[in-house]
This record gives sequence, C-alpha cells and structure tokens, in this order.
Amino acid sequence: MALLEVKNLDARFAVRGGDLTALRGISFSLDKGERLGLVGESGAGKSVAAFSILNLIAKPGYIADGQILFEGRDLAAMSERELRGIRGNRIAMIFQDPMMTLNPVLTIGTQMVEAIQAHRKISKKEARAIALDRLQKVQIPSPEKRLDQYPHELSGGMRQRVIIAIALLLDPEIIIADEPTTALDVTIQAEIMDLLLNLCEQENVALMLITHDLGVVSQVTQRMLVMYSGRIIEQGPTREIINDAQHPYTQGLINALPQMGEPGDRLFQIPGAMPSLKNVPKGCPFHPRCRFATEQCKHSMPEYVRSGNVDVACYEVANLIEQERQMQEAES
Amino acid sequence: MTSPLVSIRGLEKRFDLSGNLLEQITFEGGRFRRKQEAVHAINGVDLDVQRGEALCVVGESGCGKSTVARTVMGLLSPSGGEIHYDGQRIDNLDGKDALPYRRKMQMIFQNPYASLNPRMTIQQTLEEPIRFHHPDWSDIEVRDKIHEVMHSVGIDPDWGSRFGHEFSGGQRQRIAIARALAVDPEFIVADEPISALDVSIQAQVLNLLMDAQESRGLTYLFITHDLAVVEHFGTRVAVMYLGRVCELADTATLFATPRHPYTQALLSAIPKLEDDRPNHIRLQGEVPTPVNLPSGCVFHGRCPYANERCRAEVPELIATDEGARVACHAVEEGRL
Repeated sequence: MALLEVKNLDARFAVRGGDLTALRGISFSLDKGERLGLVGESGAGKSVAAFSILNLIAKPGYIADGQILFEGRDLAAMSERELRGIRGNRIAMIFQDPMMTLNPVLTIGTQMVEAIQAHRKISKKEARAIALDRLQKVQIPSPEKRLDQYPHELSGGMRQRVIIAIALLLDPEIIIADEPTTALDVTIQAEIMDLLLNLCEQENVALMLITHDLGVVSQVTQRMLVMYSGRIIEQGPTREIINDAQHPYTQGLINALPQMGEPGDRLFQIPGAMPSLKNVPKGCPFHPRCRFATEQCKHSMPEYVRSGNVDVACYEVANLIEQERQMQEAES
Repeated sequence: MTSPLVSIRGLEKRFDLSGNLLEQITFEGGRFRRKQEAVHAINGVDLDVQRGEALCVVGESGCGKSTVARTVMGLLSPSGGEIHYDGQRIDNLDGKDALPYRRKMQMIFQNPYASLNPRMTIQQTLEEPIRFHHPDWSDIEVRDKIHEVMHSVGIDPDWGSRFGHEFSGGQRQRIAIARALAVDPEFIVADEPISALDVSIQAQVLNLLMDAQESRGLTYLFITHDLAVVEHFGTRVAVMYLGRVCELADTATLFATPRHPYTQALLSAIPKLEDDRPNHIRLQGEVPTPVNLPSGCVFHGRCPYANERCRAEVPELIATDEGARVACHAVEEGRL
C-alpha cells in the first residue's frame, strides 16, 4: 500500500458568482521514501494540490470531492483536531520564504522546542537536545549558538537550513516542500537541494517537491507530475518524462529552456499564457496553445493513456499510440 | 577595434549607512568617536560595452550588478570613476546636457507589476516618453510610433485604452519593452527582465529581446543571475562578486573554460536536465557583507585555492590564453 494516496481530488474556491475549480480529478500516490516532483507554471494548481493534502487551503477554498489516504486514513474527512496531530508531526512542510515561516520575535531554539512539545510530552531540556541534533544534521555552523539567535541574525541560506531542521524535528514520514530554494541564490540553492536530498535518503523520508525548475526536479526526484490549469496532464518516472516528454505542454516547457537551444537561436516558445481559473477553456485546458489541437480537444477532456511508464492526458498521444498498435497488428 | 559604445572606468559606489553627524558620534572608552559605515556596492569596475553586443553581468544577490546598471543609467550617481557614452563623459552631466543621452539609453526593469504606472493606460504609458523627447512631433506621428512599437512587441494596438492590471505578467513586460523602444534608443539596460516570469513566458520575452536587437541594431547591458539565459543570449559575460568583476570573457569561452574559482562554482550550481543528482562545487561559508570588505581578493574566504597573497593583495584582471580576463592570483601564478 502506498504511504499517501490521493484519489480524484477536487478543490474549489467559493467566490461571488459561483465556485472556481482549482483542482480537478487529481490522483497520485507517494511511497515510503519516494521523491515526487510537482511541476507547473504559476496558476497551475501545484501549491493548492500540496496544501490541500493537509487541508491547509484557506477559506474560501475547500475540498469538494475526493480522498486523501495517509496510511489508509482519509485526511479529507478528518476533524481539525485529528489533523493537527498529523501536521508538522507525520507530514511536515517547508515553504518558499523562510522569513515568513519563522517567528521574528522568538529565538530559533524556542520555536523548535515549542514544535516538539506540541506533539510530544517531553521536558524542555530533552526537546532542546533534539533541536540541537537536527541543527547538526542540517550542517549549520556552531549549532549551539543558533538556538539562542533570532531569525534576522541568520542569512537566507541558513534560515532555510533551520526550516529543514524544524521539518525533521519529529521524524516525519513525508516532507512537502513548496519551492524551497526559489528565494535563494544559485550556489546556496544547490547546497540546500543537495542537503534536502541527502537527508531524505538517510532518514528514508518521502519528499513532495513543488517547483517550476525542471533542472531541480531532474536532479532530486524519482517521479514527477506536470500540472496545467488544475489538472495533472502527465505523470511518471522523472527520467522518462525529461528525456521523452509526451504531452505537448511538457515538451514545450522543456524545449523553451535556454539550455535546450543553440546559443543565439530563437527559443522554442509556447504561444499565449496559462488561462486564469475564471475562464478555463472547455475540453483540454491546453488546447488554445497547442499545435496539435483538434475539434475533439475543444469539447472533451482527454482520459489518461499509458505510454511506457508515463500516464498522459492528451488525444494526440492517444491517437499515436492507437496508430502504433494498429500497425503492429497489421504486421503480425 | 572600434571604440566602445559605453565604457565604465574605475566605477565605485558606496551607500552611506551612518546617517548624519550626530548619529555617527558614539561614546567609547571615555572618548567621543566618529564612526562612519558604508555599503561598498561597487569597488572599481571597468567594463566596455561594444556596439551591437549583449554584455551580460551575472552574479548573486549583493554583488553589485543592479547598482552597475543603475549607475550607468544615471539613476544613481557614482562615488568614484567615470562613465562614457560614445566617447562623451556622461556621469557628470545634468539637466539639458543629459537629455539626448536619456533618449539613447533606456531601461527595462525586473518587475513589470511595479514598473508600469497603474493609473495610466497603455496608450498614455507609451505616449509620455515620445512626447517628452519629441515635443515637435504631430499627434499622427506619435500615434503611428505607438502603433509601430506595440506591433513589434506583439501587443494588439487596439488595447491601448486598457490599464496595466488588465494584462498578464508576460504582456506587461512586453509593454515595458515597448516603452523602452518607443524613443528609438541605441542602448538598453535590462535588469533581470525575465526573472519574474514563468518559463514559457521567459522564452517569449527573450525571443522578443533578440528580435529587437536584430531589427533595431540594439546594444544590451543585460543583468541577470540566470546563467542558462546568459549562455543563450550573451555575446560576452562579466561575472561579479562583491562589487568587483572576477572574470570577463566571450560567452562560449566562459562556459567552455571557466577559470575563476567562483565562476566554476557558479556554473556547476546550475541544475541541468541531464543530471540525476546535484553535483556542484561546494564553497565554504557565505558571501561576506559588503560593509566590511575582506582584505585582498574579496573571494578568498570561500576559495579553496586561497593563499597568503590572496589574503593581502587585490588581484587585477589579467588576460588568459583563451582571451578571457580573470582576476585571480592562482590563475596568474599557474596554480589553477
């Protein structure tokens, strides 16, 4: 059984004039110790997908349908009280901006001890020892000193290390990291990603990494899912998708990267922009920007088809697979 | 070699932190002392921008790359050094004398949500610089110019009566580019013009900038932290660290044979699609504060090759066999 299994999740935002659907029919699973990447551009719904796992989408957002099974229990149906026992304890989160996550008026030590004591009945001294151990794990220089410092006394990279240490405090099963390195410089970003990857491997923690950076996904994750306009349009093993993307949107995203083109040449570009939730096109949401769009794409959302180990929601891919199958049949 | 379009000589910029005289005075050990502190944002930068090229300045936050851009544009006045445009010193000009250069030099900013006036329509946004620099133009000439630039950046001229907030980030950046192009500049300073945009939109805007360069013969000073973009877009690259240029080379040379230890670390830190794991060169520590600059080479505290000389003596840019210029004692001595 998978550690986490999300089935047909729909999330909506109740606004004046009706609901906006932010997530539609999201299904995926995460095994113990597995690293999964959620990729997409802003507005694709990747953060909403991650936040709704812990029911952290604020009003007017709500989970309209679907199940979120963590070790067989449905998080979507749990009371706030039960959820609190899981948040930060069994499933930890790392957010983009470390300065927004840390309380500016409490020392690092106080915040860490508080987090431990919220979940475990142990003395302050014991909690402090755990905090110190985690700070050592994230390789912060002079960890004892850091416990008594305030967040503003640390640099951005160090703050993000503290955040990772806090996420590890209670030995979680899953860490959900939402763009954990986007606010950092390139060299610091590389170090933090490296650290997160090593810790997840050492402690056998599953990682859900939300990012827009395909390079990072390729370095860190084993499986990935690509989101567009609230839907998963492609999911499968990371290497397989990066090397041979099936969905025209994923192909476009990869080919638009400057490292894919010859220096000085025009870059491949997907025309247009992601639609806003207020006017998601009918049928496949990508069809107005897609080179292969047909009448069919404008009217109904394609079902998932399997190509290799990858699931893709695209009529064009489905047609290609069908043609190939017919050709093979004709040959035999 | 022809003379450069823009040349920067010994540029220095300090930002004073200590406030007025009263705030500077402290009482220490029975005596009054005057204490002055400053952020040393740029410490002696020499750069030439050749006509028709795209010179990229890369570095991490706090390295002074944006300050270089702003000082060149005259948005900040330098604390030391000179800036020349087409042979004429421009950093000491003001008012009327600076006017012709303000038309020839235009800037594109990082955040198109902040750089467009929310109370002005697109028509007004584009009209303002044209009317300012060409007071003698007729309404028809102005209108034609606006149509021409809107068309060239891929914004429908019929949308002129809309406001900035009605557009997406990518479209806003197109409008900001149109505003820069409206007065037919020769030289454009672009400060992180695509970092606030999504991947698929970044490609659109980069293509637009390259098209504009080709059709209008523009020269760019392009500020970015994204080395992948530099490799694609830049003619030459200057790598900055703590207010100094540590390596200057042709793009192809820099990416093929990076010499400065910092450039090597920076290049290795780009996450690449073909990587299965992060494999970057580890640097010790973090960037020191530009308030108290390290002695000698500014990079010595994090450099695996630093020795006594690096700690004492500031390295100058010297030419290498590959035609690059590197400020590193280890490269000069052949240790690296």
